Amino acid sequence: MSPAPRHGRARYDVIVVGAGLSGSLVAKELGDKGWRVLVLEAGTGTLGSWPGHLGALDTYYAALAKVPNSPYRPNAAAPSPDVLDLTGLPSGGYRSHGYFLQQGPLPYGSDYLRAGGGTVLHWLGLTPRMHPEDFRTRRTYGYGRDWPIGYDDLEPHYRAAERALGVAGDAAEQADAIGLPFPDGYVYPMRAIPRSYVDDVFASRLDGAAVRETPGAPATTLRVVGVPHARNGTPDPRYDGGRGYRPVGAAGLPNYGERCVGNASCVPICPVQAKYTPLKTQASWDRRRVRLLTQAVVSRVLADGTGRALGVEYLEYEDPAAPAPTTRTAEADIVVLAAHAIENARLLLVSGLGNHSDQVGRNLMDHPVLLGWGLLDHPVGPFRGPASTAGLECFRTGPARRSRSPFRIEISNWGWSWPEGSPGSDVARLLGMGADPAQPRGKGLFGPRLRAALGREIGRQVSVQFLMEQEAEERNRVTVDRRRPDRLGIPRPVLTYDLSDRVKSGMAAAKAVSDQIFRLLDAEDRTAYGPGPLSPGWFRFEGRDFTFNGAGHGGGTHVMGDAPGTSVVDSWQRCWDHPNLYAVGCGSMPSMGTSNPSLTMAALALRSSERIHRDLTAAHRPAAVGPQEGRP
Amino acid sequence: MSTAPPPDAPAGIAAEPARVEEPPFRVPRDRADLHVFLQAALTLEHLTIPPYLTAMYTLRPGTNRPAFYAIRAVVLEEMLHMTLVANLLNAVGGTPLVARSRFVTGYPALLPYSRDKVPVALRHFGTDALDTFLSIERPEYVAEPPGHPSVAGDTGWTSIGQFYNTIRAGLVRLTAELGEAGLFNGDRRRQAGPEDFYNSGGEVFPVTGLASALTALRVITEQGEGVSHSVFDSDDLLFGEAREPAHYFRFNEIRRRRAYGPHDTPASGPTGPAIEVSWEDAYAIDPAAKVADYPPGSAVRRAAEHFNEAYARLLCLLERAYTRDPAALHAAVPAMLRLRELSVQLYRNPHPDPARRARGLHASATYEITEELLGRVRRSLR
Repeated sequence: MSPAPRHGRARYDVIVVGAGLSGSLVAKELGDKGWRVLVLEAGTGTLGSWPGHLGALDTYYAALAKVPNSPYRPNAAAPSPDVLDLTGLPSGGYRSHGYFLQQGPLPYGSDYLRAGGGTVLHWLGLTPRMHPEDFRTRRTYGYGRDWPIGYDDLEPHYRAAERALGVAGDAAEQADAIGLPFPDGYVYPMRAIPRSYVDDVFASRLDGAAVRETPGAPATTLRVVGVPHARNGTPDPRYDGGRGYRPVGAAGLPNYGERCVGNASCVPICPVQAKYTPLKTQASWDRRRVRLLTQAVVSRVLADGTGRALGVEYLEYEDPAAPAPTTRTAEADIVVLAAHAIENARLLLVSGLGNHSDQVGRNLMDHPVLLGWGLLDHPVGPFRGPASTAGLECFRTGPARRSRSPFRIEISNWGWSWPEGSPGSDVARLLGMGADPAQPRGKGLFGPRLRAALGREIGRQVSVQFLMEQEAEERNRVTVDRRRPDRLGIPRPVLTYDLSDRVKSGMAAAKAVSDQIFRLLDAEDRTAYGPGPLSPGWFRFEGRDFTFNGAGHGGGTHVMGDAPGTSVVDSWQRCWDHPNLYAVGCGSMPSMGTSNPSLTMAALALRSSERIHRDLTAAHRPAAVGPQEGRP
Repeated sequence: MSTAPPPDAPAGIAAEPARVEEPPFRVPRDRADLHVFLQAALTLEHLTIPPYLTAMYTLRPGTNRPAFYAIRAVVLEEMLHMTLVANLLNAVGGTPLVARSRFVTGYPALLPYSRDKVPVALRHFGTDALDTFLSIERPEYVAEPPGHPSVAGDTGWTSIGQFYNTIRAGLVRLTAELGEAGLFNGDRRRQAGPEDFYNSGGEVFPVTGLASALTALRVITEQGEGVSHSVFDSDDLLFGEAREPAHYFRFNEIRRRRAYGPHDTPASGPTGPAIEVSWEDAYAIDPAAKVADYPPGSAVRRAAEHFNEAYARLLCLLERAYTRDPAALHAAVPAMLRLRELSVQLYRNPHPDPARRARGLHASATYEITEELLGRVRRSLR
């Protein structure tokens, strides 16, 4: 047992739980305003140093399965879910054998990373804004949950987030093709990342073509549109009223950090750190104000009888392989949970806080992804540049939303890497290795013939990714099971997850669109869905097979709303039940539309930072004593 | 300065070193004279790049990472210096010339503007190469420009710092004579800016008058030699970036296998933490290697020729950027990535000559850039 802590030893203005995207931004904003901030990170801080970055690269290069968490070392004290934790069963269904306990009809297929820098270390780096209609689907289309704020409320914070993350994009194209409102003359900090050759081929064969979801449905006109990225490109001298923008270099090595040069490993790690990660924000923290404590797993949020949060209890450990925790506490005027949607919910549930509405942990959402893949008639040079530099935006909203989920289509630059594990699986197949390592090898190709065959096939691979909106449903939820604790004794998350018929109908429409896209491309459609070990997300719907994947976009678990009885946080991401406890991140989102959510999460974090600053300022302002001036 | 170990007699180089043409020992008198000086400065900044790239590309992949990142940072800053000199030359109405065979000296070459006879050769990563680099970047008592009362008669150039001081004096004098608008009358559209190039320390900025011209010269000298008799450059003062040891001191860190600490001075030498350096993890090469040494038709010969073509292509792209369209600098990035790929293919091969192979030497890039090669590459770029 740890000795009883002494009074007042660890008191701060703000405690931030989690050093990922939201936590790093909140700590940056509040530290710069002069508040004393303690950031508690459950994982290690290894990746913030240059040797740590190089070590992660080596781990990635050596990994057999190049999954999003492959560069990052396992940590017994702060285990992370991994996409390899799920296995499909031969005739459907799945088995889950990792950190999560899964009990839903379908698996929650996404991971996250518990380490300094957070899950955004392995993000792709796309930063589309949400569509204005995404904030009010119930009022407009009769489903899901509405936000208590709208696009216009968030717009200035979107701009602030685009500065903080360093976004490259074409605002005029976003406005024209998607209908996103921007202030007059707005340009992104950097010019758009150039489209790939794959994008150009798609554009030449798809732009202007009409597709129909069903034979009688209205036609939708296709258009290939570039996507904004948080990735260093060419600074736009027009940005910020002509002051321009200076790209932020790598964390850990002074004055290093290239523009994107097409290393094509954004997920899981950009070797030259052209891609934004929160470690860049951490490098700019005022360290006199912001203290980062890594290897400190918050086990409980402490509150008094009136509902005020007092601080947190955390478990400090040294050895990630064999953690022996020491229990400590820290106190602050304001506590900010920024530990990922599922971890925030877990922490609130374990602490017994914030759940007057019974909504904590519910409304778990992701972007279920349907993949389509095929072979083009000529080499298109996949595996160059970021995983996606353009998409088809025309199914993101519209009247069809009344009956089915909308979707955003990403054009992949990485061949069949997601659907088929290319190029590794192609090499294995041509070498004669089957999916079952126990079976004897077939006859393989070797040497120049192998290389030629690989070049012929991989060079023609194309794929499209359909990111489906998933609406908030109370039955999709995170709970905790005290009988199933992790290594430190904290209950593990139990997930119950499923797709609604609305999502499945959206997938059926997406598949119809996919079929037409491959016909228009004059490509050989190789898309096939069926049960098997690599398809834990397989299901049948209206007589057809589908397989979906997780996008790593978990949200909804401490949902934002306009009333304490039906939501967990208010529009400032402040718990209704606890005026000085914030839960920030995608968990606050009542809906996620079809946009990759990190930019919106960053905008929300920056908006909340302003509110926290005002709360703290008010808390430090003395009440007037004695007779007021001007009064008798 | 005596922080560097005494330069050893260079071994293994038989040929007479090439001499780089130096402008006359005087302050530039008129615009045409200034163009000659600035073109010479461009040539000088480039002179260091093939030797630095050779040291970097001879590192066995995955080893000597601290050395790799140190040399890489210096190479990129030399490219920044080239671009700043090109901006300066354009600003005063000149035309930077880089895709010329005369622009690329033969190696080994004698270090120009130097009192000492320092041969600069294409050497693999090791103590000999680093001693040469230290000679190139060594901060010295900076001699006054020619004609200053302290300079007795026609002593000839004695240091690179003196050469840059002379350009500085010429810029100030010609600005006084012609007026700032008169001297800086170049086409603004040829100025490269931060949107065209960034990486490593410092930043490209347009040169539009005397102040920006003098800042450009300051970046060039202080990133190399450090500022005010300290170990560090002035990236923090000029660009608000992290302060780093200047080139001389970064090379000295590798040479001594120890980093400078925050309180170290040029005289103290590095007393910070040890730096991992493995001299053995480099491909030894013949510093006098020529393409003609490799058997015609062999894979090594082809790889060496490809490398020279790729280098010629880089020079043509740079000339396009400096004389027509600054945005052409973007294309220099894939050109450099191509050099990296070709170097991996080339340096790992044992030397085709049995005698040199027996001495453990490997094939290497030769940087032989002829007019014929440049012409061929230029035509392919059209």
